[in-house]
Amino acid sequence: MKRRDFIKQSSLASSLFFAPNFIKEFENLSKQSSQIKKLVIIQLSGGNDGLNTIIPYTNDIYYKNRPKLAIPKNNLIKVTDDLGFHENLAHLKNIYDQGYLSIINNVGYPNPNRSHFRSTDIWQTASNSDEYFNTGWIGRYIEKFGKAPYSGIELDDSLSLIMKGENINGIATKNPRTLFNNTKTPFFNKVIKQQTDAHLSEHNLGYLYKTMIEAKSSAKYIYETSKTYTSKFQYPNNPFGKQLKTTSEFINSNLESKVYYVSMGGFDTHANQSNRQSRLLKTYSESLEVFIDDLKQNDTFKDTLILTFSEFGRRVQQNAAGGTDHGAANNVFIIGENLKKKGFYNTSPNLLNLDKNGDLIHSIDFRSIYATILEKWLEVDDISILNKSFQKLDFI
Amino acid sequence: MNKRQIIHLFWRANFGLNIEELSKLELKSKSEILSELFLDSSENTDLKLDLNGLSEIENKSNKELKEKFTQAEINRLKKIGQKKVRELNYAWINRLKEPNNKLREKMALFWANVFVCRDNNQIFHIQQYNNILRKHALGDFRAFVKAIAKEPSMSKYLNNRQNIKQKPNENFARELMELFTLGIGNYSEQDIKEAARAFTGWSFDEKGNFKLRKNQHDFGLKTFLGKTGYFDGEDIIDIILEQRQCAKFICTKIYTYFINPIIDEKRLEEITEVFFKDYDISNLMKYIFSSNWFYNEENIGVKIKSPIELLIGIQKIVPVKFNKKKQFTYLQKMMGQTLLYPENVSGWKGGRNWIDSNTLMFRMKLASLILNDAIINLEEKGEFEASFDAYYKKLKKKNKFIKTTKNWELFQSKYKNLKPKELTDLLIVSKINKDTEDFLNNLEKKSNKDFCVQLMSIPEYQLC
Repeated sequence: MKRRDFIKQSSLASSLFFAPNFIKEFENLSKQSSQIKKLVIIQLSGGNDGLNTIIPYTNDIYYKNRPKLAIPKNNLIKVTDDLGFHENLAHLKNIYDQGYLSIINNVGYPNPNRSHFRSTDIWQTASNSDEYFNTGWIGRYIEKFGKAPYSGIELDDSLSLIMKGENINGIATKNPRTLFNNTKTPFFNKVIKQQTDAHLSEHNLGYLYKTMIEAKSSAKYIYETSKTYTSKFQYPNNPFGKQLKTTSEFINSNLESKVYYVSMGGFDTHANQSNRQSRLLKTYSESLEVFIDDLKQNDTFKDTLILTFSEFGRRVQQNAAGGTDHGAANNVFIIGENLKKKGFYNTSPNLLNLDKNGDLIHSIDFRSIYATILEKWLEVDDISILNKSFQKLDFI
Repeated sequence: MNKRQIIHLFWRANFGLNIEELSKLELKSKSEILSELFLDSSENTDLKLDLNGLSEIENKSNKELKEKFTQAEINRLKKIGQKKVRELNYAWINRLKEPNNKLREKMALFWANVFVCRDNNQIFHIQQYNNILRKHALGDFRAFVKAIAKEPSMSKYLNNRQNIKQKPNENFARELMELFTLGIGNYSEQDIKEAARAFTGWSFDEKGNFKLRKNQHDFGLKTFLGKTGYFDGEDIIDIILEQRQCAKFICTKIYTYFINPIIDEKRLEEITEVFFKDYDISNLMKYIFSSNWFYNEENIGVKIKSPIELLIGIQKIVPVKFNKKKQFTYLQKMMGQTLLYPENVSGWKGGRNWIDSNTLMFRMKLASLILNDAIINLEEKGEFEASFDAYYKKLKKKNKFIKTTKNWELFQSKYKNLKPKELTDLLIVSKINKDTEDFLNNLEKKSNKDFCVQLMSIPEYQLC
């Protein structure tokens, strides 16, 4: 063990001195995952219209199905002979040009569910469409291979299913100072110090105590570590920009957290899609480019992988309200410095072969992407987290 | 009923109760208590803001507005409307604190999270929607579903207004079944398409009344859940209610909200049977609250309070006025439940989903934040806590506390002479963790005011 790691781990141990056993019991501490690699997960919530994001601009079927909504050929950023970026993705195009982006088309799962909530659960828990899991894939990763609840941080006021494990959850925080200040309250310290572990099994009450103790041990660490770095970059002034800024501060202050989860909402464009999606894509790509610059400046981009997904794509055919209804397969973006396969990972969506709802059919299971990231990036056993074996891809 | 059972009933049927209410109820029999509870909620009173300043836009279509006003004026009026929605949030929460219509208001809050809807811009519509929840809260579920399907706010929220014969929009039909009545997996994608056709042309006029746009409605034959006919939206709702699954779906929500987050399948079947008979919400609730098993120890103090339950519960004991309404919104937001602003149509998941490290620490801090300038006194017998003084000395300088006016005088007059055990039993319904109980016993109890804040700051107070 390196001296630095040793000091880190022993100081961690001492901060957990009074914590009951379940906090200390991280199953596979010996099989720790890669020390430096970080994963940032971005969900475009609501179901982003992938076809108007990466546009098949030579495909007649696309134009026929979307007389009002299709993006005209001269209004997009062409990148290949048949695909172009939405005009508001100029910043993403820069990322693409530098070879930092891999776009995986046609990602989904068998028997796609068209409910936001159900499909979000499926993506977040990595279940089949007929399975119901109550833990998220990152939650399970934290539990099995993380060091502490803060191994996974969601940049929000409350925690999503993706971050929940069986016994240990990730941490939700938008502002580490608020969380830290709340846990510092002497009264709470006393209540926590009092706990002897023997009485913590009660159903909901045990859950509350456990959460309180987790909060206490993580809040101090996150706050005191992350305050050592303040980003000087100008992020766009919106919630997504702020979340990415905080994420960069966490990463660049060398917080030991491994996975960050950020959700950006508003993509459920049943009506008047054009303006709304344009605005959202602009926010997304602008913020993302600043984020990458920030990481590069601090030499942390090489150790960071960014995964962007949406719970489903949208129907090929537009609806009557200038929008699109819930669809199925969609594109996923992988961003990183040393990608094995840059640009487009696979072929464009096939608009000739749709399912009976008129939606794109997936050719890559989203869990293949998770499995690849777990094994090749976070360097852990993917099967123990996904409960099944999925074919690995070679984008990293 | 013993004290504990009364407190249990009123936590589920309302937001807990204060010492005066409890002493009055203690003298009564179970049937007296229950008939009073239902009698108290038999009349509905609409919640209405003073919207006089907006009368010039009431009942006006967008087209009319554009003829009458410039774009700048329309934007200004829109801003006022949005402000009024925030005022409605405040008025609603104040309504929840009122001593009458207890059960109706609690039920309306429950239904707001079943028939989830959001409309930030049109105060007239959202106020009307809010009152529909109140009106039907204890009524006929069938009439209730039909009413919400016709509401302008719902029509806009789930795009039913854009659902027309030429191009059906499935959004409302899907959520009607998935979230409002049947639950996922109890219908096919084809059923959604057919139901969407039946709701085509459903819209509203400028007064907010339901209107069928006949030329947009699909009058054709539909096959829905195995039945074929020339169905319209109301027929679809009737067919949905013919499914026992619909009664079960709603009863499951009722069970986890009013009885226990862990479902006892046998009891669920029992109440489903009751509800499926006539879909009478009042009958269902009477059945539940009258049953002996509702008062079983396993059902008491096991539910995680929603942020609103927490916020109102505190104020039942110590009346509080928020001097800055913005701060009041902030509190709701921090805990993840801002009334009238649900994040999405599936509503708040509730239960353990209210809790993570961030929200829990905030919730445990809440009582001290609004009652005691964020201070939770801490003095143990025979020990002087130096770090405690130092902590608050530092804090006082920099913290901007939530600005409230709290009526401690009232508290003092009613609770001053309560023994620690009596105050504990009133405030904490959950079992108390043994270690925490020892800690509480060891606290120097200087005043019931301090002890009240302390009790409201332990994890057990998060349960009801």
